[in-house]
Amino acid sequence: MTEDRFEELLGPFLLGDLSVEEERELERHLEGCSGCRGELARARQTHGLLRELAAGGPPPELKDRVLARARGEIPARSRVGWRRWVPAAALLVIAVLGAGLLWAIIGDASEGIPLTATVAASHGGGEVSGEVDRGNLQIELVVWDLPELRKDEYYELWYAKEDGGRISCGTFRAQPGGQTTVNLTAPVGATSYPKIEVTREPDDGDPGSSGEKVLVGDLRSL
Amino acid sequence: MFGAVVRGVEDEELIRWVAEGDDRALSELYDRYSRPVYATGIRVLGDASLAEEVVQDTFMSVWRAAGSFDPGRARFSTWLYRITRNRAVDLDRRRQVRPLSAGDEPLRNVSGGPEPEGGVDGWDVARALSRIPDVHREVLTLSYFEGLSQREISRRTGVPLGTIKSRTTAALKRLHRSLVNPAAEEYRRD
Repeated sequence: MTEDRFEELLGPFLLGDLSVEEERELERHLEGCSGCRGELARARQTHGLLRELAAGGPPPELKDRVLARARGEIPARSRVGWRRWVPAAALLVIAVLGAGLLWAIIGDASEGIPLTATVAASHGGGEVSGEVDRGNLQIELVVWDLPELRKDEYYELWYAKEDGGRISCGTFRAQPGGQTTVNLTAPVGATSYPKIEVTREPDDGDPGSSGEKVLVGDLRSL
Repeated sequence: MFGAVVRGVEDEELIRWVAEGDDRALSELYDRYSRPVYATGIRVLGDASLAEEVVQDTFMSVWRAAGSFDPGRARFSTWLYRITRNRAVDLDRRRQVRPLSAGDEPLRNVSGGPEPEGGVDGWDVARALSRIPDVHREVLTLSYFEGLSQREISRRTGVPLGTIKSRTTAALKRLHRSLVNPAAEEYRRD
């Protein structure tokens, strides 16, 4: 048997896809060729691993569910972020932030402000977008895969400064293992605080922040 | 057309496309890795329904967190394994805190998957498969995961039957080499 002929038969042999004559032809050759018996043994190992992998898969319809769910969620990079500011409020914000930072936020707004997970949140993430409405900052916060809270805990969104000063935008509880969208409100002056943080707080009656950060964002990174 | 383009792309490039919102890249990664993800769910949880939940949660995490993947820190398969493991452990903890109450539907139970041979598990096979040449991965995928005969593969691909047979043998050998020595087996396109 030529090498080419052996190559043609070995794979289909393991798949049970040879005719009776072809099988006999291969088996006769193997009886007299130790090298080819070694090749068969190695190929059989790989064949077994592939069969094991093929046998252990999820039901086919699960793929459609996963993709449908993914398509139903707009990925972070393509979300529309900061909306157009009400002109009167924009003048106030320019005075507070400086024109450069304001332009970074709204001048080419095509994305929300991404929030990065800290080690406390493993594979979580989030995004913030908002607009000024009647003197308040209306915020939409989307978070996903945050750790499950105990009954005596909640999450809180903050605007923060480098010196530790903070303004709370509100509290919420996230759906475990899924995505949560919350609408919060903050005074428009909050935009002078360049950092955004989500913390995990104990429900101990203390309005100050004492919990660990789970998500962080920085308006200056835009 | 796009399917052929996606199949020839490495995992680390596909995840970058996912970060740009490309669900077809997510679909390709699902095809490559859903089996070892599911198998890990079965091993940790011993339950088919929960293992399906692990698959769903894992690939949704991939979809949402694709932008955070750093190829300089880990391979995609390693990153995916960590997500899978975390999701499975989370589910396990949750079900221990909330046991089924009387009258609930019993979960479908299956025995744990077979022990990996000689230290090679489904993750190693899936990773090695993603790194062999497209033409080799194609015949193995069509044979083992879609159950096509050699003749059916020849018809599907338009490649002569004799070539398909030889290619199947070559693919098994290439995959074996990739499993035995992954560092030496560089990814090449035929």
